[in-house]
Amino acid sequence: MNCTRRHALWLAGGTIAVCAVTRSSGAQTVTDVKMRGSARGEKVWFDPLGLSVTPGSTVRFTNRDPGNSHTVTAYHPKYFDRKRRIPAGAEPWDSDFLLPDEYFEVTLTVPGVYDYYCLPHEMAAMVGRIVVGTPADAGWEGLSEDQTDVSDQVLAALPSVEDIIANDAITRKDGS
Amino acid sequence: MTKISMTAIGLLFVSTTLANAHDEKALMNAPAGEPYVKVSDVLPLPEFIPGLGTLFVDPATLPAGPFLAYDRDGRLSATVYMTPLDDLQNGVSFDGLNLGSHTVSSTDVYFNAGHPGVEKPHAHVVLFHDEGAKERLAE
Repeated sequence: MNCTRRHALWLAGGTIAVCAVTRSSGAQTVTDVKMRGSARGEKVWFDPLGLSVTPGSTVRFTNRDPGNSHTVTAYHPKYFDRKRRIPAGAEPWDSDFLLPDEYFEVTLTVPGVYDYYCLPHEMAAMVGRIVVGTPADAGWEGLSEDQTDVSDQVLAALPSVEDIIANDAITRKDGS
Repeated sequence: MTKISMTAIGLLFVSTTLANAHDEKALMNAPAGEPYVKVSDVLPLPEFIPGLGTLFVDPATLPAGPFLAYDRDGRLSATVYMTPLDDLQNGVSFDGLNLGSHTVSSTDVYFNAGHPGVEKPHAHVVLFHDEGAKERLAE
């Protein structure tokens, strides 16, 4: 897995944009995941919250919530001492806070299940799951069995691996 | 005579205290002076938040605030309080909170899932200070 680095560019109008400055070599598929929130911040979520991609795919997380900042952070001891919920051979990542319209990219090469969360919104169950490849792939590492480091709300919000593989992408049950 | 003097001193004390607690003139236009800081300068949040405008807060009053909400022209438009639900449920009360302005035209109360600075799910209590305030803070 090859994480991108974030780079701030001050634009003429005083607005800020973030671009990826490091990419793994070769052409890649880039799949979008949006960070969303309702107008008054009652609800926050990743859209889609479940995603199936092939090994080597790049996923771009973009903050499309005009009133809030978000992170996309892998469950891993390297960041905030969390229990690992990504494959052992994968590099963990933490985007840091993304302001509206900023984005962060990560390239996922190790087959398996990756669970991630938004740092300020984990309590609101703003979490997501990416399935890279299928259980038939060499080196596949399936779902984390740990249920002690995350809340029941978080576990309930994460779609099943089978559903994600069957549907490619899973959005929230209310259709958003 | 003594009684009258004591009453007069008492009234003077009360009016002085109120003036200090609610120095409206000083807060009517952004930037709010010390001890207030602009929220977006100290937390990773947009400078102008749709619905809340540009917020200033005295860090010592977190999480409840008051947060002073200014429109794009820097006019004080609302005073906002943020009260974590589990704190309320556990018996914490937020009493005697300050006001940005004594004039309140309407109040909105709604749930917020959290954001940098007040991560816990909480209620927003928004006191609008004039009829057009909500519209000005919207965008």
